[in-house]
Amino acid sequence: MVHLLSYIVFIPLVAAILVLLTPRAYKHLYRVLTVLGLGLTLALIIFAISGFDALVQSAINSESNLQLVEKTEWFSISLGSMGKFSVDYFVGTDGLNIGMLLLTGIVLLIGAIASWNIKEKQKAYFGLYLLLSSSILGCFVALDFFLFYLFFEFMLLPMYFLIGIWGGPKKEYAAIKFFLYTLVGSILILIVMIGLYNSVYDPVKTALEAGYEVSQVEQVQQLVQDGTIKSDQIVKSFNMIHMADADNYIPGSFLDKSSLAKIFGQPARWMAFLALLIGFAIKLPAVPFHTWLPDAHVEAPTPISVVLAGILLKVGGYGLIRTAFVMFPDSAYHYSWLIGFFGMFAIIYGALNALAQKDLKKLIAYSSVSHMGFVLMGLAAMTVEGVSGAIYQMYSHGLISAMLFLIAGVLYDRTNNRMIENYGGLASQMPKYTVFVAIAFFASLGLPGFSGFIAELMVLIGSFKSSAIPAWMPIVATTGLVLGAGYYLWTLQRMFFGKFWVKDKSWVPSLTDLNAREYIMLVPLVVLILVFGLYPSLLLDLINNSVESFADHLFQSRK
Amino acid sequence: MLISQNQHTVLSEKLANTSQDLWALLPEIGIVVTVVLLIVFDLIFKKNKSIGLTAIAFAGLAYTFVLIIQQWHGMEESISLMSGLISLNKLSIFLKSGFTIGLSIALLTAIRSGKHKEDFFKSSEILVMLFGLLLGASFMTMSSNLLMIYISIEVVSICSYILTGLLKGKKKAEAAMKYLIYGAVASAIMLYGMSWLYGFTGTLNLTDQAFITTLNEIPQLPLSIACVMVMGGFLFKLGAFPLHIWSPDVYEATPTPIVAVFSVLPKLAALAVIFKFVNLVNTPAIDWELWIGVLAIASMTVGNFSALWQKDIKRMLAYSSIAHAGFLLVGVLAFSSSGNQAMLFYGSVYLIMNFAAFFLIQTFERQTGSTSFASIKGLGVKLPIVSSLVLIVMIALTGLPPTAGFNGKLFIFSALWESYQAGGPSILIWVFVFGLLNTVVALFYYLKLPYLLFFKTPQEEIQLDHREVIDGLLGTLLVLPLLLLFFRSDWLVGLVNSINFELWIP
Repeated sequence: MVHLLSYIVFIPLVAAILVLLTPRAYKHLYRVLTVLGLGLTLALIIFAISGFDALVQSAINSESNLQLVEKTEWFSISLGSMGKFSVDYFVGTDGLNIGMLLLTGIVLLIGAIASWNIKEKQKAYFGLYLLLSSSILGCFVALDFFLFYLFFEFMLLPMYFLIGIWGGPKKEYAAIKFFLYTLVGSILILIVMIGLYNSVYDPVKTALEAGYEVSQVEQVQQLVQDGTIKSDQIVKSFNMIHMADADNYIPGSFLDKSSLAKIFGQPARWMAFLALLIGFAIKLPAVPFHTWLPDAHVEAPTPISVVLAGILLKVGGYGLIRTAFVMFPDSAYHYSWLIGFFGMFAIIYGALNALAQKDLKKLIAYSSVSHMGFVLMGLAAMTVEGVSGAIYQMYSHGLISAMLFLIAGVLYDRTNNRMIENYGGLASQMPKYTVFVAIAFFASLGLPGFSGFIAELMVLIGSFKSSAIPAWMPIVATTGLVLGAGYYLWTLQRMFFGKFWVKDKSWVPSLTDLNAREYIMLVPLVVLILVFGLYPSLLLDLINNSVESFADHLFQSRK
Repeated sequence: MLISQNQHTVLSEKLANTSQDLWALLPEIGIVVTVVLLIVFDLIFKKNKSIGLTAIAFAGLAYTFVLIIQQWHGMEESISLMSGLISLNKLSIFLKSGFTIGLSIALLTAIRSGKHKEDFFKSSEILVMLFGLLLGASFMTMSSNLLMIYISIEVVSICSYILTGLLKGKKKAEAAMKYLIYGAVASAIMLYGMSWLYGFTGTLNLTDQAFITTLNEIPQLPLSIACVMVMGGFLFKLGAFPLHIWSPDVYEATPTPIVAVFSVLPKLAALAVIFKFVNLVNTPAIDWELWIGVLAIASMTVGNFSALWQKDIKRMLAYSSIAHAGFLLVGVLAFSSSGNQAMLFYGSVYLIMNFAAFFLIQTFERQTGSTSFASIKGLGVKLPIVSSLVLIVMIALTGLPPTAGFNGKLFIFSALWESYQAGGPSILIWVFVFGLLNTVVALFYYLKLPYLLFFKTPQEEIQLDHREVIDGLLGTLLVLPLLLLFFRSDWLVGLVNSINFELWIP
């Protein structure tokens, strides 16, 4: 199917427009439209994956590694003596983003179902939700930095309103904090984007501009290195795939591999890598840039928490892989100890904080911080196992955290209260709910059989055998698993076991067990978590070749 | 004393040239004719003047615009006019066309201003002053002679003082007085500086080869003092740090359509003057990169941080325009052709953004009678179209995608990076980082408007006049270019690229 990825990205946008055009008299249609639109998107994503050829293997910085590619010139601007620059509408998939695409489709649909009982300002809510969906999907498939940045930034605005209008008591504070933190990150990314596009040229377009054939790309690269092709014939590019190839850097530019340029006394490439690292670490979020997350989660309505934890955080991890690591592999190696340390620190710090929380949602938020630490550590290891583990962890945590926030939402819907200390012995009152809570908790703490176990195991194995980070880091990180078991089991014990007790007796009648809609959301998640825990090759086979190329690309740069 | 034969021929030749050069000033003549027509019409008719005055004003603007477009198409290279007083190039024509469009939008805003409409159209005074300001701003973009620069700046300034104080009100009188005093001092200092430059070089003509060669021999200290003084006057018009203090008071007191004009026309004209001045007074004795860099950082930072604490939308926009003056200076700072183009692109986008912003603020003002932040609480539900447009404009002013404000920032900062990469001084990277991080501060106060509109509930019942659809329609026309120029920024860039920024006239 041609333009499959474009359909996937823009169907939610079309649904958003339909929602806006539907008169208020038919407001019950808004949620139907949303679910239908996102259902169709998920169906197309599954269709795309069924046609995905897992055997394709070539270098991570080559376009032949991509599938479902769509590439047309969006606009190009002549800069006179400085050549030209062109921006493409360029989307495609490879092993690095195919898993994220699937995750996004699943979580968005579940979030839409979770939004079913939103009552206030439905038109705006569902319109914004669909807009957010479109930009997240776009962000995962965009391969032109300009396009990527557009989608990346455009996520912020709907999110700001979704938290700020439909959120809890301190929603305004949480919304603006979320927006400002993430914007600082995106500005750092923008800085690097400007630097990169001033340093990278598109060899194909330059060949055409300078009067060569498209097949003579390597010759053209050589001629640019020699300086035979002058700057006015060079076509600068935002193409992320070209940015990953050291041969495409204009000689003498700041981010050229052999560049000696310094920014604030440090080599320019190191600084650029650090800026990207911090930019995406805010999104991830990594300690110490995580403080927006607990606020945003606590205040956001349940479906938005689900989307936030389930997918938005993954944009940070995916961005690190797609930009920072692939474009600056040498700097990544230089700073791998730092990234590994941040990962380890986040695992421990997040877990310790989760132990201390009194609010169920905050506990889950800090457990997210802890789990995303594994992503950083796996990436820092730079081994195939480590990177696969990091991607698997993103995927698995997306499902598990979505489920965790849903079960927190179930309780909050009934009593408007999430304080752990206010409940006791819920198991006798809501037995089925307790089963799902137990499954989610066990999955999250890394019990074998669930997807989280595979991911964390792979990260730890990858880090132990890694030469990029010292072995004590994964050893310390392992204690995070113990702490994770600690806070989950303790919470389970306090809230669900023992004699039934709630702080406010008036809550008792409303504490009914799960209803049909909640089953529809929770059962598929449980199934998916189990399936991906028992058959990890379902996803690993898809991503394996790309991860190998990725690890190889990182390894090459060490020489 | 009798004039010798020789002098006589020179004089008559000059006179002949001058009268010939008048053809190149047709747009300005068009403005003057409009002014005369407005005054005469006002004198002849006694009642129901507003329709006629409106018609004359718009017809004058339209005709001037047509003349400017003709001038654009007939222009190949820069030409020197009036014995070197004026140099006409595509840069000035581009800006002039922008000014004409801007003034039309301002008049449209005035028409939509409800009960304040009378102030603008019942008699010709405000219109005449606005056209005077347009004339001065047009000449500012074309002057290449210090005296001519001074005179055109004064024309703009005097019209501005009058426009601030013309309508009755204590606040307006106070603002006008403040404006006048600041302005007079700035002008005097600038004139004094110009006299130094004249003393050094013996010529007032910036494009004269002798001007720059003599300047190169002047010691650093006196030359720097002279340049500081001259720049003082320019920065006052640009509304940049440290001569920005007048603007919040003036913006708050002046009617919104006029503020829209203040925030764009003199600013962009001053930018053109500064651009010309720093590129022509190009001596190693003065480190322009450092000067402009520091000014840009200071303007952005001071403007943005002061805007955070404002309680009035117009005051907030005043500080925002100070910050934007800093961004515009970044384009000058790059000292490269892509920097110049980026500056002009940003300037054009700034023009659209600001006029759109003031137009939308005006509709709130008409509905609520106030421009304080408190007055717009919860209007998002009642005025959904206008409020959504405000959101887009604020996103554009912050400089986020998908609006042209983002492209403007992208281009201007890429040009800066390029200059730094080509071996520029280290101040450039500081401006680069500070400028971009300033966006975060800017977001905080720009978002205040959508925040109040959509997140809050109204304090009291406001009587709305149910004319939102027309406001929405006009507002959409203003906001649409901001979105279009994001997706197809090559359209405007192509236009800007055809401009030759060469200042020397062979």
